[in-house]
Amino acid sequence: MLAIPSLVAFGIAALPSLVLGDEPAATPKDLFIRAEQLHVRPGRVLERGMLWVHEGQIVAVGTDLKLPKDALVIEGKVACAGFIDSWSAFALEPNAQFDDRAGPATRAVDAVDSYVDERHERALLAAGITAVRLQPTVGARAGGVGAVLRLHPTKSFAQTTVIADACSATAIGVSRGDGRSFDVFERVSAVDRVIGAIADGHAYLVEGNEYRHELAEWEKKIADKQKELDDGFKKAKKDREKAQTEAKDKGSEFKDKEYKEDKKPKAPRFDEEKEIYARIAAGELPLVVEVHRALEMRALLAGTARFDRLRLVLAGASEAAQCAELLVERRIPVIVWPVPMGVQRAREYRGASLALAAELDHAGVEVLLGSGAMDPLASRDLPLLGSLAVGHGLPRETALAALTTRPARVFDVADQLGTLELGRSADVLVLDGDPFAATTSIRYVLSAGELVVGEVKK
Amino acid sequence: MKMLHTTTRAAAIALSACLLASAAAADGKLAIKAGRVLPGPGMPELEKATIVIENGRIAAIGKDVKVPWDAVVIDAPSLVAIPGYVEAHSARGMDRPNENLDVAPFLSVRDSIDPVGFYFEDSLRWGVTTINIQQGNNCVVAGQGVIVRPIGLTVDEMIVRTPSGVKLSASPKMGFSAATQAQALRRAFGDLRRALEQLVAEKKEGSDRARREALYQGRDLEGENAKGKAMEGAAWKVTGLELVPRGEIDEKLVPLLALVEGKLPAFFYCGRPMDVHTALDIAKENGFLAKTTLVIAPAAYKAAGAIAAAKVAVILDGAAVYVETDPLTGEEREVFVPGELKQAGVRFALASANPTTESLWFQAAQCVGRGMPRAEAVAAVTTIPAEILGLGKQLGTLEVGKFGTVVLCSGDPLSVTSWVERVVVEGRDVYDRSKDVRVKHLIGGQAPANTQAMGASLLGDPRKVVCCEGEDPEEHAKHEAEERAKKDKGEAEDDK
Repeated sequence: MLAIPSLVAFGIAALPSLVLGDEPAATPKDLFIRAEQLHVRPGRVLERGMLWVHEGQIVAVGTDLKLPKDALVIEGKVACAGFIDSWSAFALEPNAQFDDRAGPATRAVDAVDSYVDERHERALLAAGITAVRLQPTVGARAGGVGAVLRLHPTKSFAQTTVIADACSATAIGVSRGDGRSFDVFERVSAVDRVIGAIADGHAYLVEGNEYRHELAEWEKKIADKQKELDDGFKKAKKDREKAQTEAKDKGSEFKDKEYKEDKKPKAPRFDEEKEIYARIAAGELPLVVEVHRALEMRALLAGTARFDRLRLVLAGASEAAQCAELLVERRIPVIVWPVPMGVQRAREYRGASLALAAELDHAGVEVLLGSGAMDPLASRDLPLLGSLAVGHGLPRETALAALTTRPARVFDVADQLGTLELGRSADVLVLDGDPFAATTSIRYVLSAGELVVGEVKK
Repeated sequence: MKMLHTTTRAAAIALSACLLASAAAADGKLAIKAGRVLPGPGMPELEKATIVIENGRIAAIGKDVKVPWDAVVIDAPSLVAIPGYVEAHSARGMDRPNENLDVAPFLSVRDSIDPVGFYFEDSLRWGVTTINIQQGNNCVVAGQGVIVRPIGLTVDEMIVRTPSGVKLSASPKMGFSAATQAQALRRAFGDLRRALEQLVAEKKEGSDRARREALYQGRDLEGENAKGKAMEGAAWKVTGLELVPRGEIDEKLVPLLALVEGKLPAFFYCGRPMDVHTALDIAKENGFLAKTTLVIAPAAYKAAGAIAAAKVAVILDGAAVYVETDPLTGEEREVFVPGELKQAGVRFALASANPTTESLWFQAAQCVGRGMPRAEAVAAVTTIPAEILGLGKQLGTLEVGKFGTVVLCSGDPLSVTSWVERVVVEGRDVYDRSKDVRVKHLIGGQAPANTQAMGASLLGDPRKVVCCEGEDPEEHAKHEAEERAKKDKGEAEDDK
């Protein structure tokens, strides 16, 4: 631990500038991380691993790297990729949670407030959260199009958007925070609504493809016709003149021949909501459905089985253990979050248990962890939720995957987030122990290659 | 300037008549001999100077200017002449603003202006002589604004320019979110684009078919394509729009098309800092950023950096001093918004926070009080709003060739103890405080002739006009006491 003594030595000298609130010095070009255990990705651990970050990018990972000149050295016991909250409402303006105008085409990025208090963002970073998937949840009629954003205390979210259309989201049978629960018929119709929307999207997609096909055919036909007409024009002109003279001689009225051609195919009417569901049906966008009861889950799974490209993700899923086999068969990931306890706990959460993540994992379901998006600051406690899941039987390695590689894969950002592999923008946590032990603290956090938590002096 | 208090309709009606009576013809000649002239921000002050106005415009200004023999002369050796203030954005003076129809680019505030509204009278009392009326902070695309002078009995008489631009809003109304607001804005322009593309496709299809029909029938192609104009636009264009006669485009879409083609200014409301980014994005995506002015609420000052980077001008719609609460500690902090804008390098105009107590002079005075150079503060209520409205060559300063719109004050125009004494709008002598019945009534206690006194019951006995000139104050007090006693007694009986 070289960094510790140097910190102590510089502590006193550094104090006055801290008191004055001076801006911390910009991150140097080169950062060098040494860790007793370096988790390149879950399951791939380098003992006494080293990581070289040059201008924000990971340029070398290994166990025998040469220390670059002038590099800032960061040391710790454990290093891993920054955590991704699969289900967050951080920085979403509060109204987004209760907007009745919202629909499938509403974009979460438009509700992100870049002027959110910097201290809140730093609190999340200090807990190891370096990226979030954002989606309005609580009272919104539809979650709209979700986004994945990196957290960085000084950059605007427009600069740190990793993907603006990560997924679409909706909910079935979830109380809207007004204490009212849905009855069984409402819940059944909610399932039908979701299936119907996917079916509409699918039909829209097919219609669009058919239109393009028909249009191409028509254009070809018309081009041929055009050529034929161009070639026959001289003759047609002569015929016409002749007909005109004849009509004149006979004293009858001259009439042009009636022209006929195939009607141009009509483009399907533009519909912004169906556009989104067409992308969902085509498997371009994953569809995250918050659903808790096994009954509705089964109905949803049965109703969507025919859409073979659909990428369904379940969220919440309190009673998912009952349909684990189906979920495994359909390879449907589940975002688990421990739901609130107490008298206010809505009925749909009744079946939730802290061992859910472990049970699903044991059955072979791909488990992700999220903080539920009920509160913008809930993301801060995500590592604690990870610890809880580990405490109830989720293997540590799986828990790490649930917070890093899995959300990155599900939301199509695996090429940018989730691992400490070469070429990535460095989102790194340096901890003094196991990431899921309650006694561990996070010493340093890098977001997009910049040191945003912890101070190191050369 | 002293504050006026509440008003009564009776007094106002009487006053409208008074204003009209004093309005001289605009094509005459008028000379103002002022004790001091402050021609504009940063310009040297003139002592004992004369301003000659001919045909509504300033013909000469200076110390040794010859007054034409046929000019009407306003001799004001004790007064200070300044250019009239320019209100770059106000939602007042209308019968009722549209705050319900979300997307209504085709609406014009012209149809809602009430020429006899109190607001216009009051504007003259505060020296505001040009107003851009533009409503719809709670809409998405609210409609077109109009620039008026606050004189005249018909809307046509008042108009300086119509339309002044299209109003948009990046701020959602209560209970809605920025996400759906941005969605609605994008949808408006997306709908426009699709509608135009459809028109072009139909036109093209029609004319192509007509051409093929002519070939088939052996007819020579006669005639030209229908007349239209190719689309202009910095961000996106629909090719082939020249095929569509402009008259065939749905008139409801025309103002938005004008925005995209860069032909109409846009006034974009932003209530919060995050809205600024939505507004700038929408303006950029549709190619009208260069023609955009942001109308910002004080809370949006935090986006000053983004505004400065986008190089758009701003109208501050609200108080100059904004009180901010820390979300963690709950502590309150005062922010001087024009100072923040200045520091970020944003070009800004000030708008009245309300039409009486925080009119333009007060906003400028507050800036001076907080340490802003006087010239900059005055520019924010004269030259800069004039430039934002595209009237920089007509208004904002007293210079030869500009509108002869002059306000005469009793002292320093930014002093709380000064009055606006006279107002001349484009050569018309439209306001004289010594003849302002309403001011006399409210401040001096003189009721206008042939009107009922304030507080008199409309249903009660027609009683003697009190407060009128010449009545003995003691007599008046007695009357009032009697009336009150009578009324109290009546109420007491009612209670029984």
